[in-house]
Order: sequence, then structure tokens, then C-alpha cells
Amino acid sequence: MQIKPILSALRQHKAGTVLIAMQIALTLAIVCNALFIIQQRLAHLSEPSGIDETHLFVVENQWVGKPSPDQLDAQIRADLSALRQLSSVQDASVSNSYPLHGGGWDDGLKLKPDQANATTEAAIYFADEHMLATLGLKLIAGRNFRADEIGHMGIRDALAPPVIVITKALAEKLFPSVDGHANAALGKTVYLMSNRTTIIGIVDQLQSQSVARWAADFAHRSVLVPLRLVSPQGTYYLIQAKPGQLDAAMHAAEPTLLAQSRKRVISDKDGLLSFAEVRAHAYDSDYGMAVLMGIVCVVLLAITAAGIVGLTSFWVGQRRRQIGVRRALGATRRDILSYFMTENLLISSGGALLGVLLAVTMNLWLVIRFEMQHLSLLYVFIGVAILLLLGQCAVLAPAMRAAQVSPVEATRTV
Amino acid sequence: MLKMTHLSKVYRTEVVETYALRDFNIDVKEGEFVAVTGPSGSGKTTFLTIAGLLETFTGGEYHLDGVEVSHLNDNARSKIRNEKIGFIFQAFNLIPDLNVFDNVEVPLRYRGMKSAERKKRIMESLERVGLASRAKHYPAELSGGQQQRVAIARALAGSPRLLLADEPTGNLDTQMARSVLELLEEIHREGATIVMVTHDPELAARAQRNVHVIDGQVVDLAEDPRFHAHVAQVAEATHGR
Repeated sequence: MQIKPILSALRQHKAGTVLIAMQIALTLAIVCNALFIIQQRLAHLSEPSGIDETHLFVVENQWVGKPSPDQLDAQIRADLSALRQLSSVQDASVSNSYPLHGGGWDDGLKLKPDQANATTEAAIYFADEHMLATLGLKLIAGRNFRADEIGHMGIRDALAPPVIVITKALAEKLFPSVDGHANAALGKTVYLMSNRTTIIGIVDQLQSQSVARWAADFAHRSVLVPLRLVSPQGTYYLIQAKPGQLDAAMHAAEPTLLAQSRKRVISDKDGLLSFAEVRAHAYDSDYGMAVLMGIVCVVLLAITAAGIVGLTSFWVGQRRRQIGVRRALGATRRDILSYFMTENLLISSGGALLGVLLAVTMNLWLVIRFEMQHLSLLYVFIGVAILLLLGQCAVLAPAMRAAQVSPVEATRTV
Repeated sequence: MLKMTHLSKVYRTEVVETYALRDFNIDVKEGEFVAVTGPSGSGKTTFLTIAGLLETFTGGEYHLDGVEVSHLNDNARSKIRNEKIGFIFQAFNLIPDLNVFDNVEVPLRYRGMKSAERKKRIMESLERVGLASRAKHYPAELSGGQQQRVAIARALAGSPRLLLADEPTGNLDTQMARSVLELLEEIHREGATIVMVTHDPELAARAQRNVHVIDGQVVDLAEDPRFHAHVAQVAEATHGR
């Protein structure tokens, strides 16, 4: 390898060398962090909700007028009965919210009534005996609600369910067991809004309504309460279609509900949403950020590649005679190609070394300023590999042109 | 050592064919010091580039050290240039980004020689041309004569069978030209085969044998009226200064 003479020659072209190395370093620092952010966002948006989303859809039902709580409860039960009778529907339930919705109820759970601070926050979902089947939740311990346990609750009533079903993540938080089994929570008493309640069932997973970072600590700590919400504002019907019949069920749902009563509004815009749409809405900022970071990476890499092509082409043009002399002195075309490839590899390696330091520094700043996670070294290695490979690809065309320079160029006087 | 027979070099464009060399014949024996002379545009530099395998020829035969070179591929030609030929150019052709040591090292690296052997040869060559103390200097820090001496050291370091010199004193003043020429004579006395292209009759006179090229052909000087015309032209120019 001719590393020493290449380094000697580069010392005579400090400005170009330093500029391109700096560009590589900056690109590496940004690309590493951007790739890390992309990975985090993609991991976030592909986080499992714990529910069977494929054939699930949601109807946001707003009531018209001022019906009494009893009238509303009767209407809801009639609606659910009509929906469940549709041939394309597997099951249906009703709730105050649903996973990934963004808005809903969170409450603290305590182990003792006089406990000053809650042991944990948890998402509260209203549910009837059909909810587990509708959402496709997996019951891992205990039992589901019975029909006779389901009550109804007004918006201003106290939340005091006698029994609850909770998620495994919440069970483990409330009653950590040595052997890691969530069953330890089964039959235990906890306090929800200072009201005593008993855990009768544990489901494997059920994500909270919010996908925001502030809710990440209790993202899978959820409580199902055996209640129907009779709020004059409205309610959410969750409907599980039969396999392959999602479209048919979604088309049939609104006319079926309107046939039960016309005193309701189902918005044309977002009154009827498949769960795929719910997921897309929930994570659109994550997706947008991942796309934006991806575009930033591609643009930066393209600019860096263009810089390498430009500088190498300039150097090849400037050194035509020198290349001719090298050829006259015995260099093969392969030697010339190797010279420029090695030269680029040296510059890129220098830039990459500086870039690694910059990437880590930039990440530390992001950690302090935006509470980001620490950059995994894997992303630094991936970034270095991408930059070195890009450099070699970018330099290939000008290096091949250089290799075509004839040895007779050495005798040209102009 | 170097034998060209009925060699031709034609440059073709869409409308015209130009013969740079036509029925060119030359035979340089091992250990000879031959000067190739001729007016500008006569084809002597073309001869040198073909002799040095820097470019190909159109017709005829060329044997270098017993090998017919017309069918050799680019790699084989590079290898012969590297191992058998030493070049001395009018414009020195040192690589400005490299110091004297690294410049002399260039052909040795392409030969794949080990570092210790390279270093030994480089220092021997530089000592021979009297520039061992300037090994770390860059070409721009040397005079023209010193640069040409470095070029000669580079040509000698690989122990070539044939030394090709293209107007080696063309860019030097009289004193420096004399010292470079004396160095070439010394190298020749030690057994090297040298072919030197020059348009300077005085320089050519120092060689063992002169070959005159006019219009791309080697001519017999005694019979060719163009030679006498050229000599008269040179004499007139010399007296007129």
C-alpha cells in the first residue's frame, strides 16, 4: 500500500482535504443521530397495542339533545345488540376511549386507602362483558366480567367499580412477584379514586390511549372497569368485524345505528375509523419525523457524495500530467485506481474519526436538551460504514477516469 | 537492445491521416549512447514515446530487449516500463507533492520492492547524483539542474536496461546542462544504454552515435539534402545570436 506517499501528497492539499473530511465528519454525526432517531420512532410506531387490530373499527357516536342517563344506557344497549346482529360483525362493545386514541381517562391506583401518592397511573377503559372478545384481548389469569356486573355511570358520577380487570404490566407494577408471575395480583384489593375494588382478571397486554412520550412509563398499564359511560357528549363503539368483512361491517354500522335512533351524529370525516387509520393518526408525528430524518440523511449523503466526486474530479484534472508520469514509471491502471481509492479512504477515515466524536457530542447534547436516549454504538458503526462505502462509490467514477490517463501524458508540454 | 523495423505511427482523423513515423528503422545495441536528432516536428519525440512504450504504434515491429512488444497488454507494458526503462524528461516531471526521497521511490513502489531495499537504492541513487542531502526537500525547493538530477536518480534507482532521455538539458542553463550531460556520460561509461532525443547538434555530438530523423524517417546524413539545409539553418541561427 502506498499510504505514506499519499499522506505526504495530501499534506500539500490541506484545504481541500480538511474541507471534505469536515463535511464527512458533520454528515456522519448527523446521519448517526438521525438513524438512531428513525429507529426509535419506527420502534415506537410498531409497538404492539395488545389488541387484534386487523378487523377492528371505531364509531365515534355523538348524542343529540339531552337524554337522561337511563335513556342513554338503554339506547347504547339497543345499539350494541343491533351491531352484534350484523352478519359481518363478530362482536361489539362500548367504551369511553380506546388504545392509541390520544384522549381518555388516566387515574392513580393505590394499594392502601390512606396512601398519599398513587403507586402508579393507569389508563381507564370502560367495558362490558364483550370487550375482551371485541378487542381480542388475551385473558391470562382470572375471569372476564359477567353481564350482571356491568353497570352504567354518568360523566359526573364517582368511579367506583367493585371489580376490575387489569393488564399484566399493571399487575406486575402493583404486586411484583419474585417468580415474575402476574397471577400474584389476582383477587387482590386496590383503590381506584380511593374506592376499593378487586382484581378479578388479568389480560396480557392493552396499550394506553396516549402514545406520547410522557405516558411511556405506564403505556401498558391499563384498567378495564365494568361500566358503560352514559355521557351526553357521546361514546365510542368498538366493533370487531368477521375476517375479510371489515369493509362490509364499516358500511353497515352507520345505517344500523341510525335505524336505531336518528338522534345522533356520526361525523363524515372521522366518525368511522378503521384501526389502521387510528394507528396512522396516532403515530403520524413519529412517522413524519422518521421520514424527515430519512430525507435529511439522503440529502446530506448526496451532498457529501457530490463533494467527493467534485473534489476528486478536480484533483484528477489537476494531476493528469502527474498520473501520466506515474504510468510512465510503471504504474498500472489498477495502481492509479487504487491510489485514488486509497486517498479517499484515508480522507474518509479521518473524517469518520472526527465524525464519531461529533456524533457522540451531538447525542450528549440531545440527551441533555431533549431527554433523548444515549446513542447506541451500533448506529455509529453503521454510519461509519455507510460513509466509507459512500466515499468509495463516489470516488470510483473519477478514479476510473484517472486510470484511463495515458502514460504519454507525461511527455505533453502543455 | 532496441530494434524498430519498418515501424510507422499514423494519427488519423475523419478527414486526414498524418504519418508521425514512416518506415522507421533503428537498431540500438546494448551499452550504446545514441542521440536522436532532428528538427521540431520531425517525429523524434514520437519515436521516444513508442520506444518507451508510452504509446502504441500503427505498423512494423519493435523488439525491446529481445521481446516483440506490439502484442503486449497494458499491464505487461507497464511492467516493462517499470523494470527495463528509465525516463528522463525535458520538464523533469517530478511529482510536486512528494519530496525528493518519495519521488525517487515512485517506480520502486510500483515494482513491489521491500522497504529496506527501496531505501538502500534511493540513497545510492541520490548519492550518485550528489543530492543525498536534499532527500527531504520538495521539487519546488530545488534548482532546475537539481530537479533534473533527481529525475536521473529516479530513472537510475530501478537499474533499468535502457535510459530514454527527452531533451534532458532543454530547460537548463549552460552550466547546469553541462553537469547533467557529464552525469549521463558517466552513467553510460558504467555500461548503461542511453537513447537521447535532442535538437541540439552540440549535445548530440557528445553521444557515441547520431541518428537523424526527418519527416518521420531515419535518414542517412551524408546523402540527405534536408540535413544539410537543417545544419545551415542551425548555424545561421547560432551566428545570428
